[in-house]
Amino acid sequence: MSDRYARQILFHGIGSLGQRLLMDKSVVLAGCGALGCTSANLLIRSGIKHLKIIDRDYIEETNLQRQVLFDEEDIKKNLPKAVAAQRKLQKIDSDARIEPVIGDLNPSTIESLLSDADIVIDGTDNFETRFLINDYCVKNEIPWIYGACIGALGLVMDIVPPKTPCLRCVLEDMPPFGTTETCDTAGIIAPIASIIASIQVTEALKILTNNLDELSKGLLKIDVWRNEIKRLHVENISKKLDCAACKQQRYEFLAKDKYSMETSLCGRNAVQILHPDGSRLDLAKLAGRLEKIGNISFNSFLLRLKVGKYELTVFPDGRSIISGTNDILIAKGLYAKYIGM
Amino acid sequence: MIYLDNAATTFPKPETVYTKMDTFYRTLGANPGRSGHKMAVAAEKEIEDTRAVVAQLFGIQDPRRLIFTFNATDAINMGIKGLLKQGDHVITTYLEHNAVSRALYKLEKRNIITVSKVNNSQDGFVDPDDIKNTIIPGTRLIVMTHVPNALGTIQPIREIGKIARENDIVFMLDAAQTAGVCELDVNAYFIDMLAFTGHKGPLGPTGTGGLFVGERVTLDSWREGGTGFEPTSLSQPEELPFKLESGTPNTVGIAGMRAGIEYVLLEGISKIRAHEQRLTDKLIQAIGNDDRFILYGTKESNKRVGILSINVEGFKPYEIGAILDQSFGIAVRPGLHCAPFAHQKMGTFPDGTVRISPGYFNTEEDIDQLIAALYKIVSERI
Repeated sequence: MSDRYARQILFHGIGSLGQRLLMDKSVVLAGCGALGCTSANLLIRSGIKHLKIIDRDYIEETNLQRQVLFDEEDIKKNLPKAVAAQRKLQKIDSDARIEPVIGDLNPSTIESLLSDADIVIDGTDNFETRFLINDYCVKNEIPWIYGACIGALGLVMDIVPPKTPCLRCVLEDMPPFGTTETCDTAGIIAPIASIIASIQVTEALKILTNNLDELSKGLLKIDVWRNEIKRLHVENISKKLDCAACKQQRYEFLAKDKYSMETSLCGRNAVQILHPDGSRLDLAKLAGRLEKIGNISFNSFLLRLKVGKYELTVFPDGRSIISGTNDILIAKGLYAKYIGM
Repeated sequence: MIYLDNAATTFPKPETVYTKMDTFYRTLGANPGRSGHKMAVAAEKEIEDTRAVVAQLFGIQDPRRLIFTFNATDAINMGIKGLLKQGDHVITTYLEHNAVSRALYKLEKRNIITVSKVNNSQDGFVDPDDIKNTIIPGTRLIVMTHVPNALGTIQPIREIGKIARENDIVFMLDAAQTAGVCELDVNAYFIDMLAFTGHKGPLGPTGTGGLFVGERVTLDSWREGGTGFEPTSLSQPEELPFKLESGTPNTVGIAGMRAGIEYVLLEGISKIRAHEQRLTDKLIQAIGNDDRFILYGTKESNKRVGILSINVEGFKPYEIGAILDQSFGIAVRPGLHCAPFAHQKMGTFPDGTVRISPGYFNTEEDIDQLIAALYKIVSERI
């Protein structure tokens, strides 16, 4: 082994055995935004040699403030995030096998994308994908590290099936579409993403090197603006007795029962997104959240948001028709960003 | 849910369709005409009886010339691709469903046929004289819809059929929207091929339909296989319907379609059409004089079936469809209805229209609720 990892090997928790383990493991990064960029950077520098990066988006100017792997050149080249990240990371470690996937993690693709993962790192921007990852990982006993941030607030939790409670033990169900703030509506400062991703990768290092006694317990909540660190001791509630996923083995997201349906609308350069459970949106409230984003108009039946060349029409049950594109990935990306899923 | 999307598929079905399919599949679910045992014979009899019932619906003298298919698209493809040969010329219209347009385009693109499309009037009708004037020495086929699915306007098919017959041209009718809704008679209308689907006007289940193949037409089989007839020959048998019906048929579906058609015949086609027309007329009267609604196709009641395409000022069709669905529980169909050229002609491309299609089981009250919903929507214009 070269000197590259000498300082890390010196650290008592890793050692040369730990380092060898890290170099053997396969990590999947779901989402390469603010969290994902920092995670990927730390993972590759720590000696992860097999990294798959899944992201459906292309880099935009508003990403540069916090997504540390991207620069102005990438925007000029109109690069997908997964590809730009891979190119950057490959300069750090030319040996590492880094596989960019420009695509969507959904019930149809998840098996092929996650089946070889030793661990999954959450860098997604929506609850739906997280609940899907949770289903898959609980079912296949793959550890995953939940991470999320908005504003100056971040959340992180280790989920190591079957040892720990899973995401559905804690949250039960995803919040209805259109009811959650997103980084694109409520904003975010870069440091919180960096902090949360750093904790996620630390937890991953512990899991991959079999240091399971050192794991962070429960749901960690950090507000760097208010200087608050809280730990929700979910491990004390232990696993929820009737958790749909880890107790009853009902994988409702994997089975698409609770998963959104996207349809490219016949001939209209528009995509419809809806959730089988629906939602009950207060369109006035949503309008208040979106007024800084673009041109808004609404009545009691629908809300229209114009962002660039796209128009999002949102209905009270959370259904949305995104016009200006036939591409389901772009439509889903816009929905996750502005409406929230 | 108030279901006003009967042009897509009729819903609900007559009770007899549900019970017929259930009983049939529980008691006679054998493979027809293959095994010779009692159940197989009974299943085959069901199919042949249905053939006779369908023949009655369309005035077909010889039921063997009625081929069962899986839907109208299947029948149209069978007819067009089984008939046309290198160098043939085809006349069609801009009002066609993609089932016709795309089947023709494929042959045209491969330089097998040439196609002429005949214009239509602003209110949605093809002029028989335009068809006549488009005929050239190589014209082999006139293929068109009886009623365009986006417009609901009844085309002058008797006149066009006559022109085809006089010029020794095959006349093929897409009756997807009219079978079971309009009186149809293959002889009176000079129809050489008639394609229909079972799940719309005939009130049967999806996965059923048929093609009538008249005596002036010989079709190539477009799929070969087991027919339960002449099994030792390597060639597909020449006899109808075997030549064009390979593989195990949708027996339970065909049984259900029979129950649907029997219901239609018992109620009476004219009564069914009058009901659907009355509901559409009510809607036209309620919104036809308000500038905020745009109505497509003629307003003359006797020249249309129960299909009305509209647009609402200030809203896209898909917005109206979604609002009606979730705020009012009313099902309609927004969009292009698989007929892009018809919408180009109407000036409603690419967003299309909102298509409202009441069926025999809708009530005046359903239409009242739709009218109230539409007015509520336009009153909240944004």
